[in-house]
Amino acid sequence: MNDKRDQRRKLLKAAVLGAGTLGAPWVARYAYAQAMDLGPYQQAKINWRQAEGTAVNVAVIAASYFQNLIDITPEFEALTGCKVNYEKVPPGQIRQKVVLDLSSKTGNISTHAGDPMYVPLYAANKWCDVLDDYLKDPKLTDAAWFDFQDLVPAWREADAIDKKTYALPYQGEMTIQIYRKDLYDAKGLKPAETFDDIVKNAKALHDPDKRMYGFCLRGMAGAGQNMYIYPSIMRAYGGKWFDANNKIRVNGPEAVAALDWYVTNHNMFAPKAAQNWNWPDIADAFSEGTIACYIDGHSGVAVIANPQKSKVVGKIGYARWPKGPSGKRCTSIWNWAMPINAAMPQKSRVATWLWLQWACSKETQARTSYKFTGGAKRFDVNRMSLWNSPEYRKTIGDAGHNFLEASLESLTQDTDIDWRPRVPQWPAIGETMGKLVQAALVGQMKPKQALDEAQKQIERILA
Amino acid sequence: MSRKSLRSWALVAGAFLVLAVWTVPLAWTLLTSFKSDRDVLAYPPVIFFEPTLANYKEVLFGPTNVLGNLVTSVIIAVVTTLLTMIIAVPASYAFARLKVHGKKPLGFYVLATQFVPPIGLIIPYFLILNQARGLDTYWGMVLIYLTFSLPFAIWLMISYFEDIPREMEEAALLDRATRLQAFLRVVLPQARGAIAVTVTFVFLNAWNEFLFAVVIAGAKVKPVTVAMFNYISVEQTRWGQLTAAALIAMIPVIVLGIIAQKDIAKGLSLGAVKGVSRR
Amino acid sequence: MEGVDRIRAAEAPERRFAWGLLGPGLLVLAGTTTLPIFYLLWQSTQNINLALPGMDRFIGAGNYVRLWEDSRFWDALQLTFVYTGCTVVMQLVLGLGMALLILKLPRAQGPLRVMAILPIVLAPVVVGMIWRTLMLTQDYGIVDLLFRKLGLGSHNWLGDPKLAVLSVIGIHTWQWTPFVFLYLLAALSTIPDDMYEAARIDRANAWRRFTRITLPMIRPAIVMVIIIRMTVALSAFAAIYAATGGGPGTATEILNLFAYRVSFAELDLGYGAAAAVVLLVLTLVVSAGLFAMRRGR
Repeated sequence: MNDKRDQRRKLLKAAVLGAGTLGAPWVARYAYAQAMDLGPYQQAKINWRQAEGTAVNVAVIAASYFQNLIDITPEFEALTGCKVNYEKVPPGQIRQKVVLDLSSKTGNISTHAGDPMYVPLYAANKWCDVLDDYLKDPKLTDAAWFDFQDLVPAWREADAIDKKTYALPYQGEMTIQIYRKDLYDAKGLKPAETFDDIVKNAKALHDPDKRMYGFCLRGMAGAGQNMYIYPSIMRAYGGKWFDANNKIRVNGPEAVAALDWYVTNHNMFAPKAAQNWNWPDIADAFSEGTIACYIDGHSGVAVIANPQKSKVVGKIGYARWPKGPSGKRCTSIWNWAMPINAAMPQKSRVATWLWLQWACSKETQARTSYKFTGGAKRFDVNRMSLWNSPEYRKTIGDAGHNFLEASLESLTQDTDIDWRPRVPQWPAIGETMGKLVQAALVGQMKPKQALDEAQKQIERILA
Repeated sequence: MSRKSLRSWALVAGAFLVLAVWTVPLAWTLLTSFKSDRDVLAYPPVIFFEPTLANYKEVLFGPTNVLGNLVTSVIIAVVTTLLTMIIAVPASYAFARLKVHGKKPLGFYVLATQFVPPIGLIIPYFLILNQARGLDTYWGMVLIYLTFSLPFAIWLMISYFEDIPREMEEAALLDRATRLQAFLRVVLPQARGAIAVTVTFVFLNAWNEFLFAVVIAGAKVKPVTVAMFNYISVEQTRWGQLTAAALIAMIPVIVLGIIAQKDIAKGLSLGAVKGVSRR
Repeated sequence: MEGVDRIRAAEAPERRFAWGLLGPGLLVLAGTTTLPIFYLLWQSTQNINLALPGMDRFIGAGNYVRLWEDSRFWDALQLTFVYTGCTVVMQLVLGLGMALLILKLPRAQGPLRVMAILPIVLAPVVVGMIWRTLMLTQDYGIVDLLFRKLGLGSHNWLGDPKLAVLSVIGIHTWQWTPFVFLYLLAALSTIPDDMYEAARIDRANAWRRFTRITLPMIRPAIVMVIIIRMTVALSAFAAIYAATGGGPGTATEILNLFAYRVSFAELDLGYGAAAAVVLLVLTLVVSAGLFAMRRGR
């Protein structure tokens, strides 16, 4: 009996202790808020308190880089006297939710983590404000302090349409080659420079019986899934989205060849299950050590270089996209694009702009990355000056071999504004293409047949 | 051993085999909730590993905990269930027992409302609630949940009320009880089992709803079904935490199920023999 | 004459009482479901495509004509029938089998009833996620592992179009068979033992006892459970959405998912509304037929 009671007491003690340590992050965060230093922001020659008392409602997705931002938001509230409410929406539903909100002009969501491919849609419907008006207004923006030009150019351009800026990038991503340096070195392989190299490398390492797959790409259908990868291959093959009359054309010979390459090599080297995989699935498989090389977003590094999750830490190398048959390399120009909802009253829009300016400023980007006191690192800041700063480079240096170089080369040399067709109908086009690209991948259709069908369906969408 | 006992042993074995097949996914979910990130997708899948409570700690007390969302879910589900029962029980009794003009078409109408595909209602609900300032509020959520719980509850209860013998009720009426008194004192106690079944399923449906919750709920009123999705970030799926949250979210319904278990068994059989008794 | 008057006098308060009981329910239903249905009907006659602003207009049956000509719609419709039919039949066969088995083990019933609730209670989206990755991934998924151990080979459960359909049917069956089991177990336990005794004296074999006594006795319960499961299967969403998203290609895109993808991924709200209306009509027709069957004999 006594034994039991003793045990129970021990358990209780452990529980109390546990609760104590669990409380610690809050304490730390509180202390952090106490010691906030607003100096760097107050150097901006604007009145940060001009929208005092206004609420800003921000819809984000669950991600460590947004969590870092949320954690330091008390600084913004102290700086401006505005109140910020964050809502985390599941990534699969955020577009749906935001579009419902914007289209019914409720003005509920001040700004949100948006898909840059939705910017043409926002612009066509006039759902969001043109940000150039804010950028040019000295009352609202200290142009020298904010330094708009310093934002990663490809992401800036991706958030603009017809030379008008509709959103600011808080964070961004490019697709790169990610490979197992240890395996490559053992066989004397080099990261692929051309599409043929990819096949050659994959062949050398592919050994499914030993659970080693030579090469992998996303297979799952969707505008943001396989249509995040296929467009790069298509462009690298020299394909275009629009014909001479500026009409969309998805079944040109280069496109067919590109899809054929994707299907052939996916079927040859990727795990069969990857036909239904999205990026986290591939990153998980790579972390388990079953994939020799894949091409996907560089932010997957948060998983594969994380010792708590990955078994291949220290064995990873990175490289740019290889050159396609046309000699072109094409990476993604993804970013979380943050616009201003046009359906809000003037004061709320000003407050939202202040928040945007704060969140995308160099100081906040630094405070959410290398200056951040919490655990999660950021590999995806929005400013060239930071990418080139030694402090930032130091924090991301341990991601693996050549990570920084590969990321920067992609960012500066391999981006392509016409990577995907930037038209308001993109959501439907992307879904249609995604479905049919996957149909070709799983063998329901031949590549040519799939793209012809896609062309037919897209013409009906645009009609 | 006699042939008969041999056969019943075979039956037991068979039953447990089927049961095992059914429990594997759940058992695996349970195991996963005690795994560290590295063990979740290990190959070959590991059954023996160093268990950790870290996932549960994070889900319950960590910075991304869902405790508040659990409370929100409880409030929404309880209020939905209460309102549903308060409205549905009398209505279904009237349908089952009382003379009303146009009872058949009305009954079909109630039934029909249950069949509206939820997908088609997202946009109208959003617009209506936006006009009425009901987005991201408890009453907005409850109102929407009533739309599918009410027809379901009414129809379930009708079939039960039809089966309760009329004799006792008539005896009460002869004793000069009013209809209301007869309903409250005689009929309702007999419908205990039926009410238990209906309550359980109404609660369950409100508890597990996701499609509307994503759109109608916001930062303030966010049920756990939506909140647990934050463990699936764009960077990675936190399997340990997702499964821990999902399992914790099962507890309230299971508790309700256990409390009402005897009544449910009775209630289900009551509904199931309907028709048999009438013929 | 006096008697008729008295009945009439009693009827009036009863009617008032009845309306008092019915009123609140009908009012709430009218407000919360019927208004939106009218909105949905209106929306299905409009050309509303958020990607084409300024083109909104009334097009009458235009969206329905488009559905008629859309092969993807017919595929989805066909798949909806396959999905609904297969899941309901499998739930019924497995659930009934399990209930018959457990009926003979009275002591196991209590714990089994509680256990049977578990899959039902797990959030459907999580069910989809768990099956997609932890159970069905080729290679490290548990199901795939078991198949390989049993010498049945490794399969691309969610990537192969045909297998993907089987997989989503399997997932739904897994989650909801326990409901059918619970329901039918309760029905079976109400059949009086003496009926079986009589049959046994008549030397009826087990199969004859099943078809002659058990099945007719629980027929109403079976019809009821089919109706319930059918309506749920027709509007299934969360688990498929999480497991395959309707893919590969459109292999697992049932009508409900079609309506969702058209409305919210492609932003063609009018067209999506028309698909939802078709689904509504379909569900109504099927269940009205079943209800007629229930009253039938």
